[in-house]
Amino acid sequence: MTAVFGSAGRLALNGMYGFARVCVLVVDTLNWLVVAPLRGKGLRVRSTIEQFVEFSVHSMPIVGLICFLIGAIMAMQASYQLARFGATRYIANLVGVAAMRELAPLMTAILLTGRSGSAITAEIGTMKVSEEIDALEVMGLNPTKFLIVPKFLGMLLAVPCVTVLAMFIMMVGGFFLSTVVLGIEPALYLEQAAGALVVKDLVTGITKSIFFALVICWVGVYRGFQVEGGAEGVGRQTTSSVVTSIFFIILVDLFFTTFFYFV
Amino acid sequence: MSEANDDIIQVRDLVVKYGDRTVLEDISFDVRRGETFVILGGSGCGKSTLLRNLVGLMRPYSGKIFINGQDFTAMSDEARVEVRKKMGMCFQGSALFNSMTVGDNVALPLREHTPLEPSTIDIMTKIKLELVGLGGFESYTPAELSGGMKKRAGLARAMAMDPEVIFYDEPSAGLDPIVAAGIDALIRKMQNTFNLTSVVVTHEMASVELIADRVCMLHRGRIVALGLLKEVQASQNPFVRQFYERRPDEEGGENAAYIRSLTGGE
Repeated sequence: MTAVFGSAGRLALNGMYGFARVCVLVVDTLNWLVVAPLRGKGLRVRSTIEQFVEFSVHSMPIVGLICFLIGAIMAMQASYQLARFGATRYIANLVGVAAMRELAPLMTAILLTGRSGSAITAEIGTMKVSEEIDALEVMGLNPTKFLIVPKFLGMLLAVPCVTVLAMFIMMVGGFFLSTVVLGIEPALYLEQAAGALVVKDLVTGITKSIFFALVICWVGVYRGFQVEGGAEGVGRQTTSSVVTSIFFIILVDLFFTTFFYFV
Repeated sequence: MSEANDDIIQVRDLVVKYGDRTVLEDISFDVRRGETFVILGGSGCGKSTLLRNLVGLMRPYSGKIFINGQDFTAMSDEARVEVRKKMGMCFQGSALFNSMTVGDNVALPLREHTPLEPSTIDIMTKIKLELVGLGGFESYTPAELSGGMKKRAGLARAMAMDPEVIFYDEPSAGLDPIVAAGIDALIRKMQNTFNLTSVVVTHEMASVELIADRVCMLHRGRIVALGLLKEVQASQNPFVRQFYERRPDEEGGENAAYIRSLTGGE
């Protein structure tokens, strides 16, 4: 019995320490992002642009390809049910709404977690192991300003941009399959899609993507700074970063889906 | 501690703990301006921890560290940045930023801390690299350098801001004797040319004899000998004698038990 209470207590304490460390990281990032520039300590613009390009432009080929295929798959699956009722014209509605509100933001976030969130953890973890983070501090360069803020800003700008493109590409995938394979009239498909989509769908998708960006970046950075030991520690935390990030993305997704359902 | 004297670093009653474990106790010493001060000791004696405290990567449990008469331990992070601009550090594994070229590594502190024009920074970078014998290697990445060259590049980066004091963590660790001797000669050259104060953490006896002016020997987190190189060499402290005579611990002896207690393997 004592052992059970002991492990529960240790688990709770570790959870609280973890939460406290995340809070410190969040406050520190916001401090260097918002407060410090007001005091004349500028942002690292060039580094931020580099990170933005890395997270957005370089991830576009894989995000684009996967979103195109998912759009096509969705159209096919929708047709499987809707054809029974002679309602294949509503494929456009289903693909459009699902892409904008749900699948494009979610797939973009998951792909960027695997591609960029893991890279952030591995980079910071390796820098920690090889004493590069210590070197920054000894040089009087703040690691948050130097490393985290450019990644944070880059990610915050990149995820919504990539998401909007992913929405479009996913709908193109659905359009392509519907018109080429299922034989739906292109004009009818476009008309149907245009009628189904409202601005709120876009707002829902973009709002989600902004919060997904926060999750990907903060989890990636947090796990990177958690690295202890050598290469093994980097590998362990990188895996953990991807798993934790995807878990929180789904949680945030559930929250906003519920929120926008009622609002 | 504001009296102006020749001591650039003053350490007073320093105690450092990891959780409940005390790793450094009652550490007090002075480092004089322009000298090479060597912190010597066996594995696990706390010498790297002491160095991390001196450069502000850790805060001590109690005690004070004064740098140029200013209490470094009680300073805000912002005030520390100003002090750090006047110190450089060479890490054991060189800690060069792998994503940058050697030139960018050396130029980084200048770009971040000075309003100098890029062309001036380029010239200064070249001068620093020439100084350590790496002229022409600006565009190389750290991965393309050998271990000794990385240490030299690390030294060039540490020298970038023309520091008053430079800290070396195991400068000759992992290098062959010839390259290690080259690094020792470089440390001497920096001291002679720029009247630079050097604080060197090492356990390499050959290096100590070449570079040290004064030595502080640590054992089990305490100072067992402190003074001029010759004085420490002549010390009759049993640990100093054992260290100099390279006598191994008795199997399962006190030192092994001490290291086990530090690493929690008791």
